[in-house]
Amino acid sequence: MTTSPLQLSVVVPLYNEVDNVIPLVDAVTAALGASGSWELILVDDGSTDGTVAAADRIAAADRRVRLIRLARNYGQTPAMQAGFDRVRGSVVVSMDGDLQNDPRDIPLLAAKLDEGYDLVAGYRKGRKDKLLTRKIPSWIANRLIQRITQVKIRDNGCSLKAYRVDLLRRMNLYSDMHRFIPAVAAATAGARIAEVPVRHHARKHGSSKYGLSRILKVLADLLTIKMIRSFRDRPLAMMAAGALLATLLATAVAVAATVAAVGFGPQKANAVVFSGAALLWLGLAGYLLMLGLVAEVALWEHRREQGDQLPLVHEENN
Amino acid sequence: MTEQMRVLSPDTKGAGKPQLDVSVIVPITERPEDLAELYHEYSVPLSESGQSFEFIFMAEPWCGPLTKPLIELAAQGHPVRVLQMGQTMGEASLLRLAATHCHAPVVVTLPAYRRIQAAGLLELIQAVIDGADVVNARRWPRRDAWLNRLQGRIFHMLLGSITSQRLHDVASGVRAMRREVLLRLPLYGDFFRFLPLLAAREGYTVTELAVPQHERDTSTRVYGPGVYLRRVIDLLGLFFLLRFTEKPLRFFGLLGSTLAVTGSALLALLLVQRLQGQGIADRPLLLLGVLLVVLGIQAIALGLVGEIIVHLHASGRRGYRILEEDSPSQHSAADDSKSLSA
Repeated sequence: MTTSPLQLSVVVPLYNEVDNVIPLVDAVTAALGASGSWELILVDDGSTDGTVAAADRIAAADRRVRLIRLARNYGQTPAMQAGFDRVRGSVVVSMDGDLQNDPRDIPLLAAKLDEGYDLVAGYRKGRKDKLLTRKIPSWIANRLIQRITQVKIRDNGCSLKAYRVDLLRRMNLYSDMHRFIPAVAAATAGARIAEVPVRHHARKHGSSKYGLSRILKVLADLLTIKMIRSFRDRPLAMMAAGALLATLLATAVAVAATVAAVGFGPQKANAVVFSGAALLWLGLAGYLLMLGLVAEVALWEHRREQGDQLPLVHEENN
Repeated sequence: MTEQMRVLSPDTKGAGKPQLDVSVIVPITERPEDLAELYHEYSVPLSESGQSFEFIFMAEPWCGPLTKPLIELAAQGHPVRVLQMGQTMGEASLLRLAATHCHAPVVVTLPAYRRIQAAGLLELIQAVIDGADVVNARRWPRRDAWLNRLQGRIFHMLLGSITSQRLHDVASGVRAMRREVLLRLPLYGDFFRFLPLLAAREGYTVTELAVPQHERDTSTRVYGPGVYLRRVIDLLGLFFLLRFTEKPLRFFGLLGSTLAVTGSALLALLLVQRLQGQGIADRPLLLLGVLLVVLGIQAIALGLVGEIIVHLHASGRRGYRILEEDSPSQHSAADDSKSLSA
């Protein structure tokens, strides 16, 4: 992938979107025109409803449209990564396959990217979704993501985003990271990020593939990203901070134990319980330190064998 | 690899060797029967059906004398190969190694003892030719001791609770599959038992076929307690691998936060009692509360280290498998650049 013969690659993951495929391709074609310097990569994520047949027909007729079929339903993140791994354009745009994003916004995003950004995220103005199950959880999640990741993005849930291909080559998406792409890009690849408002339409065909059950998962993923952002090069520091806290607690409880033993408390009791608690906290401190050491070993072995993808650097020329 | 393993039969590797239809892989691991007899029995339906085939016996160091009759068979011109290991490798490694040495696109794994009737092999092979990636043989109807069947039932009930694949006889050991599956699956340790389930996770189509059980596969088998314990541990490992390989914190985070929240609730209760003037220095509940919080923090910390390891390896790993793609060469990149400059 040394040369990029195309200017623009659009990546769309599809999962059971049989009614949306043809309108989607038509909309993208209409938005990007007949310039010929773009490609549309449809990634089928194990659909079972005829999405593949529809996409296949289009791909056979229009050589700007490519279809990639995954072996089963892997989820949105691996599907997007599969598309990113195969793009030939120097600018890559990702969007949903449900036509809630508007392909007419693609040139806007690409233009913003040209102003000197690595990632341009769309945010949905006048979002057309249910208030209680979609918009409110989304609002809370975005505030939380902003606070924790320190990346100021209003709408992490909007799939319509534009990337420089250099950025994508430095990023590896797995698990459910599509929700945090800007944060991951900033944390691991040093991306410069901008936002543009984009249009949003109500869903016409098919059904939404999201549910409310993802809150716990999102929290765990956020904790992961926070850790990777702050401690990916020094896990021992993270564990040592925890160990220090545990040691302080142990000391406090030990003081309480002494007090109880001497008998200033409400009753003069034997101090076994307090001493036990102090020892437990002390044990935790030791455990965290050892775990930090194991993490350093994993990091060291990895760096020694493979090196690491270096972040993006921007050379300022006057 | 050649240092670790000797090929004790006419070496059929090499460019001149014609492609075969089926490779039958027999890893010799536990309670082997007379292997020459086994070969004769299972090769009959294959030769009758007119398919070209080979039998690859994977022998660990301890099975030296067992393989003598096989080497004689090979010398007489039978399509038998014996690969002798220089060290004990375990069944998972034997299977993967055999896959790199076989000459057919369709592979059958067969235990070194009789489990299904020989004629059943053909149905399994046909199912792979018809498009399945892995076909697991289910011994059915069963004719062995009720105790065996009960054990199998319980095992598969547990298995059913951790995977959505409905298989009835994962442990039969008899499976036909495309060679590619065996080459690509990261099998190790005791997970060869769950090969069909791991294959399904990688997106291969897995089916099960009822095959009559062999009349010799009927003796009651009761194992030592250690064996059962290992099976349960295998199930735990499988549960984790199938669901959380890319997101360890989801597992450890849930476990840890449950523990920590329970512990905190106990400590909060004690705090309320302390504020009401009760002494808590002699309450074992305090120890339990602290212990639960400590365990919870440990679980979460372990999950975080797991996430670090996953993150470090993300650049080399792809979590998906491609079924099919229009190759760019189909409408080639050179072609595109031409149309651009035009």
